[in-house]
Amino acid sequence: MIKCVVWDIDNTLLAGTYLESAGQPPAPDPGLLAVARELDGRGIVHALASKNPPEAADYVGRVTGLPFAAAECGWGRKSEAIGRIMADLGLAQDAVAFVDDDMLERAEVGAVLAGVLVLTPEDAIEAVSWPEFSPAVITAEGRRRGLMYAQRRQRQEEARAFGGSRDDFLRYAGTDVLIAPAGPADLPRLHELSVRTHQFNTGTEPVAEARLAGAQAAGGLTAVWLRDRFGDDGLVGGALVEADWTVSMLVMSCRALGRGLLDALLAALCGQAAASGAGELRIPCLITDRNVPLRLALAAAGFRAADSPAPTAADSLRTSPSSKSSRGSTVSELAAPAGPAGRPAPRAVVFSRSLAGPLPVLPGWVIVGERP
Amino acid sequence: MTSDDVLAELRPMLAGVTGRPEVAAVTAQTALFGPEVGLDSLTGTLLLVEIQERFGVDVAAEDLNLDSLATLATLATFIAQRA
Repeated sequence: MIKCVVWDIDNTLLAGTYLESAGQPPAPDPGLLAVARELDGRGIVHALASKNPPEAADYVGRVTGLPFAAAECGWGRKSEAIGRIMADLGLAQDAVAFVDDDMLERAEVGAVLAGVLVLTPEDAIEAVSWPEFSPAVITAEGRRRGLMYAQRRQRQEEARAFGGSRDDFLRYAGTDVLIAPAGPADLPRLHELSVRTHQFNTGTEPVAEARLAGAQAAGGLTAVWLRDRFGDDGLVGGALVEADWTVSMLVMSCRALGRGLLDALLAALCGQAAASGAGELRIPCLITDRNVPLRLALAAAGFRAADSPAPTAADSLRTSPSSKSSRGSTVSELAAPAGPAGRPAPRAVVFSRSLAGPLPVLPGWVIVGERP
Repeated sequence: MTSDDVLAELRPMLAGVTGRPEVAAVTAQTALFGPEVGLDSLTGTLLLVEIQERFGVDVAAEDLNLDSLATLATLATFIAQRA
């Protein structure tokens, strides 16, 4: 499923060349603008990669009215520009499409980033009807995704100018987090998060709305809302907690990356479990090559993989220096054969944390309670 | 490559991913997830990417619990044993 379309500017999003226009830069290409607006409405975000000065991106943002999650203007390789956009937005190659009228640019990106879907402007017009561009579930928050990524870009630009620590900046930004029991109206969004998130997700399969509804009725469904002075992100994460304090679903939008939200949710769950007299909080997790950020948050909150045996001799053989050619390998590849679609099969482990002794601390901007 | 060599390269790397130059000067025993460095899911992921590119060591693949990220000293030792 495509999550982000990276657009060239000259003779692609614009019906002409930005720098060759005397005084008045060209207008947007009407066909592609309609496509981009349609995709924005489906929750697919847009970015720019252009051999132009940065003012060109500002101009395109103004005349198209589209929110751009990232803009790379310069004279380097397009593959490198797209690589920076993927790193910035936390995207894998197979979630990115690239549209450019220039055959050489398309060839360069296709050669370096084989997983990126490379399209001509004519392809892009047709792509609107392709399944890769047609998400099964589109919620209100999904439709606002492009706008929220654009807000995140503004926040990051301010953060870079601000300096100081992350916590200093989160305070300055007026970060306001609410962790509270989910209501029936929150179920579609929580289901969508279970489908769309990969970096902060303990599972790999969608959690059905019926399952979420059962947990909600039983009081075991928690949701996380986020807003700050740059924008209101709405419902960004949640947890499904069983009666025995096993967390069978933990999801957080990757918008929350670097904003301390998963840490806050883990701290809140630890606090609730401890208050109810539980001895430990358990979080079963499928380890994939995508959810390293989740593991970092678990490690930072003091969770450890309880049921994971020490590496076996066979594992250490496969991770020995002699196997350096397979350096892209992950824990999951070591443990299991490749799964569907060439991705390594995930490895199932259970992270747990004792609730005796000091618990992870909740930052001051997090409120744990009921929705107003 | 000794762990001291690795440590010397990790310091500017850590300052780069956190965007805070002063972090390069913390002691090798400072907790990376603690308040002084404040490594989190975003900066931690960036650090692991940098480490894999520079040293060819995939820490996430080889250290399930990410214990190696406790301090600069533990991280340097972990990398030096594998690089």
